[in-house]
Amino acid sequence: MNKKKWLATPYVVWLAAFIIIPLILIVYYGLTNDSGNFTLEHVKNIATHNNMKALLLSLKLSLISTIICLLLAYPLAMILTKIKMNSHSFIVLIFILPMWMNFLLRTLAWQTLLEKNGVINTILGHLGLPGISIINTSGAIILGMVYNFLPFMVLPIYNTLIKLDQNVINAARDLGANSTQTFMKIIFPLSLPGVVSGITMVFVPALTTFVISDILGGAKILLIGNIIEQDFRSSRWNVGSGLSLVLMIFILLSMAILAKYDKDSEGTNIW
Amino acid sequence: MVKKFIQKLYIALLFLFLYAPIAVLIVLSFNKSKSRAKWGGFTLNWYKELFANEQIMNALYTTLVLALVSALIATIIGTAASIAMNSMKRTPRTILMGITNIPMLNADIVTGISLMLIFVAIHYTLGFTSVLIAHITFNIPYVILSVMPKLKQTNKNTYEAALDLGASHFYAFRKVILPDIFPGIMSGFLLAFTMSLDDFVITHFTKGPGINTLSTKIYTEVRKGIKPEMYALSTLLFLSVLTLLILINRAPKEETAKKNKKQRIHNESKRNYSFLKPVIAVVAISALIIGSLVGMNSTSGGDTLNVYNWGEYIDPDVITMFEQETGIKVVYDEFEMNEEMFPKVETGAVKYDVVCPSDYMVQRMIDADLLSELNYDNIPNIKYIGKDYLQSAESFDPGNKYFVPYCWGTVGILYNKTMVDEPIDSWGAIFDEKYKNNILMINSVRDALGIALKYLGYSLNSTNKEELKEATQLLIDQKPLVQSYVVDQVRDSMIGNNAAIGIIYSGEAIYTQRENSDLVYVVPKEGSNIWIDGWVIPKNSEHKENAEKFINFLCRPDIALLNFEYITYSTPNTAAKEMIEDDDIRNSKVAFPDSSIISNCETFQYLGDEMTAYYDEKWREVMSQ
Amino acid sequence: MNKLIDLQNITKAYGDNIVLDDLNLYIKENEFLTLLGPSGCGKTTTLRIIGGFENPDQGNVIFDGKNITKLPPNQRQLNTVFQKYALFTHMSIAENIAFGLKIKKKSKSYIDDKIKYALKLVNLDGYENRKPDSLSGGQQQRIAIARAIVNEPKVLLLDEPLGALDLKLRQDMQYELIRLKNELGITFIYVTHDQEEALTMSDTIVVMNQGYIQQIGTPEDIYNEPKNAFVADFIGESNIIAGTMVEDKLVNILGTNFACVDVGFGKNKPVDVVIRPEDIDLVAPEQGTITGRVTSLIFKGVHYEMEVMANGHEWLVHSTDLSPVGAEVGIHVDPFDIQIMNKPESDDEEAVILDE
Repeated sequence: MNKKKWLATPYVVWLAAFIIIPLILIVYYGLTNDSGNFTLEHVKNIATHNNMKALLLSLKLSLISTIICLLLAYPLAMILTKIKMNSHSFIVLIFILPMWMNFLLRTLAWQTLLEKNGVINTILGHLGLPGISIINTSGAIILGMVYNFLPFMVLPIYNTLIKLDQNVINAARDLGANSTQTFMKIIFPLSLPGVVSGITMVFVPALTTFVISDILGGAKILLIGNIIEQDFRSSRWNVGSGLSLVLMIFILLSMAILAKYDKDSEGTNIW
Repeated sequence: MVKKFIQKLYIALLFLFLYAPIAVLIVLSFNKSKSRAKWGGFTLNWYKELFANEQIMNALYTTLVLALVSALIATIIGTAASIAMNSMKRTPRTILMGITNIPMLNADIVTGISLMLIFVAIHYTLGFTSVLIAHITFNIPYVILSVMPKLKQTNKNTYEAALDLGASHFYAFRKVILPDIFPGIMSGFLLAFTMSLDDFVITHFTKGPGINTLSTKIYTEVRKGIKPEMYALSTLLFLSVLTLLILINRAPKEETAKKNKKQRIHNESKRNYSFLKPVIAVVAISALIIGSLVGMNSTSGGDTLNVYNWGEYIDPDVITMFEQETGIKVVYDEFEMNEEMFPKVETGAVKYDVVCPSDYMVQRMIDADLLSELNYDNIPNIKYIGKDYLQSAESFDPGNKYFVPYCWGTVGILYNKTMVDEPIDSWGAIFDEKYKNNILMINSVRDALGIALKYLGYSLNSTNKEELKEATQLLIDQKPLVQSYVVDQVRDSMIGNNAAIGIIYSGEAIYTQRENSDLVYVVPKEGSNIWIDGWVIPKNSEHKENAEKFINFLCRPDIALLNFEYITYSTPNTAAKEMIEDDDIRNSKVAFPDSSIISNCETFQYLGDEMTAYYDEKWREVMSQ
Repeated sequence: MNKLIDLQNITKAYGDNIVLDDLNLYIKENEFLTLLGPSGCGKTTTLRIIGGFENPDQGNVIFDGKNITKLPPNQRQLNTVFQKYALFTHMSIAENIAFGLKIKKKSKSYIDDKIKYALKLVNLDGYENRKPDSLSGGQQQRIAIARAIVNEPKVLLLDEPLGALDLKLRQDMQYELIRLKNELGITFIYVTHDQEEALTMSDTIVVMNQGYIQQIGTPEDIYNEPKNAFVADFIGESNIIAGTMVEDKLVNILGTNFACVDVGFGKNKPVDVVIRPEDIDLVAPEQGTITGRVTSLIFKGVHYEMEVMANGHEWLVHSTDLSPVGAEVGIHVDPFDIQIMNKPESDDEEAVILDE
């Protein structure tokens, strides 16, 4: 059995070369200035009015979209577990399928749908209903986030729910719990690992996106991702790395939370 | 019953939500109009053009090779690592799993940037390999997370039993463990493949010149408007995968219809097997496409030329003609902003041979000593370039040592005459309360601040901080009126009547007017920016003579004409201008404005690092309001 | 003794697969009733219908005089102990046990007392704060029982509760269950496929097969007087031999007439004859009804298991006396140890015998 451990060698080397060292580089750039001397200036940059505002807005929007994703995904996952699909993989594939259309194109398509004279407003107009105008607002960004990241919430929840022992639910019913109580006390707590990994899978990409805000926010709304991207785009590597370091704190936080719910170290229950 | 109905309705609505944009894209692939904002009738033309579009086909090829190879390598490394981790003690396993989670949980942007940093740090030239490494890196965790649960389910004793019966470790693994975890490996592969296919951010940061995946190709097109061929390609990809899925899932459905217990058990074992089919299908399709494209993509080796140009800023046929005439292989790369191009050339991560910056950026590059002097012996066609243009270029390139003009134009207002009360002739319109939410402002530091400065009566090269503060305040006050900040997306929005007023480059105005005749272009009376883009050769170029050949080729009147007709930006090539057949265009005041208008305009100048930073800071102040 | 639970004409099918066909069964108060049968016989479905986890397609479930057929499980006065314990892994032992009581909004002191009492009852005092994952299978099963009984149900349903335990533990738990039932004085409905468990614990055994009840009776009845070949074969070991009823009290087995006590089968009627292996006496050849030769011998602890070839049939014999392989022996069976049964009438029954 000991021989098996050697099989990890390529992976460990890979991890070191392309995950650990690059991250150390970010830390290095984030904590040094152009001439390579230590400085906290770039990290402190987050506290400037504009950056702070972008960070808070990112936190707010990603939090809202995570909550919406959860509220949409949980009932969906519950319903899906009840449908007798002939294969579990089919459900997974339904949610992966849209990814075969490039996500930039899909996000761009929302522009066409949401525009002032877009598809949705045209349809509403024909029905004699008032149009909606959320394009280029925070609302559109949230919609884009929910749209892009919903599958990452549905799948982990679905996977924990489908693995739930039906008898555990029966036991709760048997002991006198009505359906609401069964849900609150048994089903939901037991599905928490899935919920938590779903939340991290949605929250982190939503927090750091720059493409969605670019395309659906009309560039009127700057998120922290946009600022970092612009920094790197215009070669302000130290500044960008400094801000990335701040972002990584939030990411580490999510990882810590995830680890707490994932005692088997099975990793996130996504698929 | 009601509950069932509500459940079904809920699922239906969510699926509508998930698939509505896809439906839109499919519809757009049959749209005769090039603009996504307008339905121009049904056509299958884009599907035909798709296969003739070498750039898209190349991107498709790269995307599929990348997805296939990265998924394959990630599957091998990931599976081996899973097996090893499964037999590890708790602590090392937990640590490894923790690190494994990093690329999944970490922001794409941080992962992408960190990988870019390491490649730059070790002076590894960004290219296909760097993207491949990046893709493998973020793919491995998906494989591990698919394989690990299956490994946990396998009974350790069966492996030992096989050893006991005399099997070698490898044989026991192949015959006992592998069949058990195979579905996990396959789903890991499929996932990795899909993730690689859909990735944009990480590719964006780690790719080198000439390497485009569909994602990065689309991103460069986002601003200019997606080419309809791209919709056609996506539709084809999507529909083929969908068809496969339906085919795969139809067969087992018929079996479960017979609700027999034994049958159900039978299906249970079949289920694992069914996972294989999409994988085989995906691999087969990709291999097929790759195979059919491989001939196309074969590089002739020999002489090459790295071209770095604005997106959509050349007729693709021109590149082909150049390659055919000279035998030089063109590696073509695109940028969207001068500020984005500069650091790439500066760091030398990629050694470009010929680049197309704008006036003030040329000055900055000269100041930074990045450019190499042109040898005009190799560019005899310079004689076709109008003297006026060379003269005005002297303002940033004294002596015309580095720069050959390529395109020029003005910045002005494009408005929809049915949506405004009176003809517009002043920048005042874009600061006017009554056009609230009908204004498309330009999303570019110098242009936006320049406009504000001009409106206030200052120079657009102002270095007076008071003036700049005033301009910044004006832009902040304008923000509530703005519908969105755009660069080239202004075209689609104006064509689709989604806004009344937009800021646009004169070259784009001609195209939009063709699509929507209600649009009018005007250079405001306060004056504006007149800009000129052209070719320079970076100092670190390794193919300087080829670069000069290329510049000379572009100066040939027939070539300049082809480019003008394709990109509709004004050409400084006087010989080419005379060859324009369409009188309306040759005499167009948009493409070739009167000298009175030109003299009212200023070119941008490079204002020094400190001032540039100050401009950036002011603009960010506006954007983050 | 009144009927506590009365199942009337219960029918249940999954698709085309009929699991229960017009089943009628009543359960008396204070009874330890076992539903016994091979997997797929409908025993678990019956239990789930009583528990409220399945709705019958037809028929009624009467509980204490009231029709509870449509009542959801949380409103039934009975509790279930599930096959794989079904403990709530995210809660401590105490929280598991308190679950039902908290739902009923009992006072904290009442709940605490009950937890103590229940843990004592299942011999797990002091385990309040442990998590289910940290307990062994047997301990988890006791917690599952404790969790059910604190709710003071009138009936406890047990779905193969010992199936996942090893032999020794299973035997211990059998005695525990009997003790518990006596202490609590409530009705147990127990589902198992293990005939030994059924025989050890039950007051009444219901043998089921293919959705039909094959026989209801005390363990002794079921063992000694199986009604048909299925029951005989399923309960204990048997020699089941085709024979002919010559006349009342005389049966012909493999060409030899044996005296028996059964009457009313008619004359020269083909029947199945069941003889338990321990009811066969091996005697000197000349004293036997028939003679044969010992072909195998295995020591089983309490007895020897032998196979005797006689009249072209391998007779299974259990005896405390040893006859060596190759010995010639006589076979004697007392008339009251010979059990005569009608040949099975339905194909279903036949099929199962061939299967087993």
